[in-house]
Amino acid sequence: MKPMNKEKTISMTRLLPLAMAALALLLTASAYAATPGIQGTAFTLTARAAFLTQPDGQAIYSWGYGCTSNVPGSAKFMPEAISGTFCNEMQVPGPTLIVTEGVQFTVTLKNALPMGAGNTSILFPGLQVQSVSGGVAGLLTTEAAPNGSVTYTLVANSPGTRAYYSGTQGDLQVEMGMYGAVVVLPANVPSVCTTGLPLTKPGGNAAAQSHWKETDFRLADSAYDDPNTCYDREYLFQFSEIDPRIHRQAEEQLATIANCTPSDTNVCPTSLNVATEPYHPAYYMINGRSMPDNMDPNYAIQYPHQPYNGNPHMHPGELTLLRVIGQGRWQHPFHEHGNHVRILGRDGNLILAPDGKALAGPLLFTTTTTPGLAMDGIFYWSGKGLNWDAYGHHPGSNDPNAVLPCMPDANGYNTGDPTAINYFEWCQDHNKPVEKAPFGDVSGGGPVTLPDPNILTNGAWFGGSPYLGPDATTRATFGSCSGANTLSSCGTSGTTPPSGTIANSPSSEAGFAFMWHSHNEREITTNNIFPGGMLMMMLVDSREFVIDESF
Amino acid sequence: MRNTCRFWLPLFVLGIATTTVNAQSFRVQCPPSTITHPGNNNAEPEYTEPTVYKCSVDGGCHGYESSVSNAGGNNTGYLIPAGGANGAVKCQQISGGDGFSTMADGTQTYMFSFGPLSGLADIANGQPGTQFPNVFNTVYPQDGAPLLPGDPATTDSSGGNFGYNGAIGLVPDLSYNTVNLAISSMSETGHIVNFTVPASPNLSVGDTVIVSGVTPADYNGMHTISAVLSAGHYQFLLPNSGVGNGGAGGNVAIPPVDGHVDPRQIMDIAVMNGNIPAPLMAIDEDDEFFLTLTNVGQIMRPDLFEQHTVHFHGYPNASTFYDGVPDASVAINIGGSFTYYYLAPDAGTYFWHCHITPPEHLQMGMVGQIYVRPRQNRVPKGSSLVASLENQQSDLRTACRRPGDGASPSVTSVPDILCSNPVPAGSPTATHDLDRLGNLHKYAYNDGDASTAYDVEYPIQIHGFDPNFHFVGMTFNPEGFADMKDKYFLLNGRSYPDTVTAGPLQTQTADGASHFSQPLPAIINIPSGGRALLRISDLDVSEYQTLASLGIPMHVIALNAKMLRDEEGNNMAYDTNSITLGGGESLDVILDASNVPSGTYYLYTPNLDHLANDAENFGGLMTEVHVCGGSVTGPTFGNTCSN
Repeated sequence: MKPMNKEKTISMTRLLPLAMAALALLLTASAYAATPGIQGTAFTLTARAAFLTQPDGQAIYSWGYGCTSNVPGSAKFMPEAISGTFCNEMQVPGPTLIVTEGVQFTVTLKNALPMGAGNTSILFPGLQVQSVSGGVAGLLTTEAAPNGSVTYTLVANSPGTRAYYSGTQGDLQVEMGMYGAVVVLPANVPSVCTTGLPLTKPGGNAAAQSHWKETDFRLADSAYDDPNTCYDREYLFQFSEIDPRIHRQAEEQLATIANCTPSDTNVCPTSLNVATEPYHPAYYMINGRSMPDNMDPNYAIQYPHQPYNGNPHMHPGELTLLRVIGQGRWQHPFHEHGNHVRILGRDGNLILAPDGKALAGPLLFTTTTTPGLAMDGIFYWSGKGLNWDAYGHHPGSNDPNAVLPCMPDANGYNTGDPTAINYFEWCQDHNKPVEKAPFGDVSGGGPVTLPDPNILTNGAWFGGSPYLGPDATTRATFGSCSGANTLSSCGTSGTTPPSGTIANSPSSEAGFAFMWHSHNEREITTNNIFPGGMLMMMLVDSREFVIDESF
Repeated sequence: MRNTCRFWLPLFVLGIATTTVNAQSFRVQCPPSTITHPGNNNAEPEYTEPTVYKCSVDGGCHGYESSVSNAGGNNTGYLIPAGGANGAVKCQQISGGDGFSTMADGTQTYMFSFGPLSGLADIANGQPGTQFPNVFNTVYPQDGAPLLPGDPATTDSSGGNFGYNGAIGLVPDLSYNTVNLAISSMSETGHIVNFTVPASPNLSVGDTVIVSGVTPADYNGMHTISAVLSAGHYQFLLPNSGVGNGGAGGNVAIPPVDGHVDPRQIMDIAVMNGNIPAPLMAIDEDDEFFLTLTNVGQIMRPDLFEQHTVHFHGYPNASTFYDGVPDASVAINIGGSFTYYYLAPDAGTYFWHCHITPPEHLQMGMVGQIYVRPRQNRVPKGSSLVASLENQQSDLRTACRRPGDGASPSVTSVPDILCSNPVPAGSPTATHDLDRLGNLHKYAYNDGDASTAYDVEYPIQIHGFDPNFHFVGMTFNPEGFADMKDKYFLLNGRSYPDTVTAGPLQTQTADGASHFSQPLPAIINIPSGGRALLRISDLDVSEYQTLASLGIPMHVIALNAKMLRDEEGNNMAYDTNSITLGGGESLDVILDASNVPSGTYYLYTPNLDHLANDAENFGGLMTEVHVCGGSVTGPTFGNTCSN
């Protein structure tokens, strides 16, 4: 090992300028997600055409909903802590409309689609349409004629996430991008939720958040008016596909319509005749972006018409609300690595046991998205039952963070001290080693032996060690260890990433990365390129790492 | 591509900077005991109560003062079992590489695939290849026939009986920690050598010893202990006879079996040994599982340097390090072995697959099955199931508490939102009794009320192969993902009528040897009036598939490895005649034959275009269910109706 390390140093020195240049190009600020949208009681949306960008460099002609004059009108951007917000005249998905249960609101739709595209409209499945003004009669709902408008007056009788999408020639208009989400906040948030999680130490998670100077990015304290639906963090994911042939055909036909000069011998077409079958999608998107674009920030300027990202983060033990909507026309088996999801409800209908006091939705590791269907679910990760200490605690270390105690609460978690970096550690495995040999400043005696790191390839999101957080990872991979200890002596340093990772640096984040993706695996490609498509990396971050969703 | 390059190119550059050439590094890991499983781990002990803990250091488990006998105010120790631990240690080895399989229309299809490197005899028999340490750590006998390429198919096809279930490649580690014993006597009669050495350490039959320094020199060399007469008195076999008395003098060296392997044996067995589905794994709750993946490379694709990994799909509270996602952890290069480590999660039907370039490696065949059996199977005969489940509530790791659940002490708070195993509502009275085959009843989950009891179980994996993609995958061309279209629709890697062919299917591959390419049939034999558990998983990469039952209702008891039960313990299982799964989903179905006449029934797909084997308009996703007139015989998956 020793001569090899020397060799590494030499070759790294030689390549350092190149590596630094590459890194400088690469370093983008970490980007988070939350559930950004616009909140209010009167929304004005415009249906319009624009081009969406894809990571293979293609610009896809699309239609979508946006805000008039690039401002949301009387609505305001939420959560307020997110900066750099915009609501362009067209975006995919359409603006997320945030409303409150029982409070009447209006959506005015203006049809600014190109000449020849015809009427358009919006369906709000699960919401009550109380009245409609303006517009022209359509098959499923009242429509906005070209350059016309229609106003829907609505109310949501229950909280939860729902889809909205075009009700006019849906096989074409939804495919073109005309869909979005409605988030209905509960009118009566239960007091147990406002007091805060976890139930074993009410408000402890909020106290930890405030100790590490993290902002609260939630839209509410609970998903429904039910004490079983409190949460700490939330994300919205909308799944859809693009068949580029349909988009190209629509664009070409509209150009023909716009440029056609009628004559005695030339009858100009006035409407579209796009074949929407056979369906052959090549782009698979979460929140309108394909991976890796979906990991860039919300409102990133390079995606003027795709403002929403997909980039979830959470701390151990935080209950994370997933709002998942199937848009487009296919089902996608959305697989959450790391743990199961408890489904709370579908389309705003909370699923409860017969006495109404307990949850009855299924526990799923793959939450199939279905077109038009919205689900709410709760996910968390705690490392419970690993049988080894994921924090790499080492009773013999000189590092005070390596010798933190773990005091189990009624559920076995360390929730007593919200300021400790092992807040929410699973105590049954505290101090338990995983490696047989000492691993840097992490003690040995465990069950497994890691192989020579040269037979392994490290991933871009590999934190650098089996342990959670920069303190543990630094001790495991770079740390020296000089104090006497009762368990073992200190070992040679363990495996490390090639030289720091791009996405999950060992010294600053070192989170546990879990892939969240469509398990119809061909959908994690972008027009035949892997990786891409419906793929995100979810990061479980140690408590000392500050999750900032504001950019 | 712009952004993709931005992510990957610098990694590639940095990767070059640190890559050094290294020799192969194959090895296996299967400790006979661990800090949390001390003692003998070669059998599953009965489950009577949760494991009782003590602290590894007296007074060193601060926070556990009320529940652990020698806990105390400092923080220097960790919890270890005070007496016996529940569960055991289980080990398995698999290869990552390539192979061929035979489709039902006779087409031989190239695969990227996993193959068995332990439990070979069991896997050929349609059973899990997971072993206890004493079986896994058995060295292949030195004095018998050597391992042959294609084994076990090669040996079995030539009239032999391949019965070895140990880790392929495992050999005594000659260069490490060898113990030397002085010989006090050595003599030979009719090839049998008797010798005497100090009584400690003990030798066992099968142990390898190296004799040196004895005169005549015929005795010197490597031998396998063939009999133990008493401590210190042993026998081995010598090819020569009449060599004369060796007397005293010389040494017997005992090289340890410590996971060191002979790469030649591994390459002989693993090359072109791919299976579809990949080797079956089964563990029990509370087990520690050591899974070694050995990457032997892809002989048909020398241009590729594919890493492989194992993703344990659906494990609750998974470890990211052992999650097998190459982007989030480590991937295993050609020439290397890596041991995945997990404490068995909650009981359920999970599955596993490679997570390298999933649309490619999954379509090409790197998919397998794993399930976890509940501790309720280990409850002593005659004891109450609900009492056992209430007992499990006192260990926070296995608890799923709610007010009024009957366990003590009572709780007032709502349950953990992701726990799935509440004590059933009502007052069930079921006890652990015998099933229709005369064995102790087995259960899919810790139900407390026998609602998931079964007599026979069948792992069924749904998959699909696109022959065009597999053909391109065998060549040097880039594959297209968007055009992927499956033409073979597989249950356990076979289409009808191969699904109802008993025993392993073999395929002659590019190395000239025949290999057991598809060890698992999908025939379902149910004893008269009995219940069959179908552990159904789907790893199709391109579309949803439906499986329907003609005649026997499908009783769905669990989704995604979680029992269908609300937080209050109300049973939410339901009956249906079809189930639909996408890639990455699993569910458990019980086929209840209690009111079903004996005869042949069918499971088939109502996706009618999937009832085809490429150009043949017959076959596809279909298999037979036999309700026997009497009982079933044979091992669970390869069994037949007795009448």
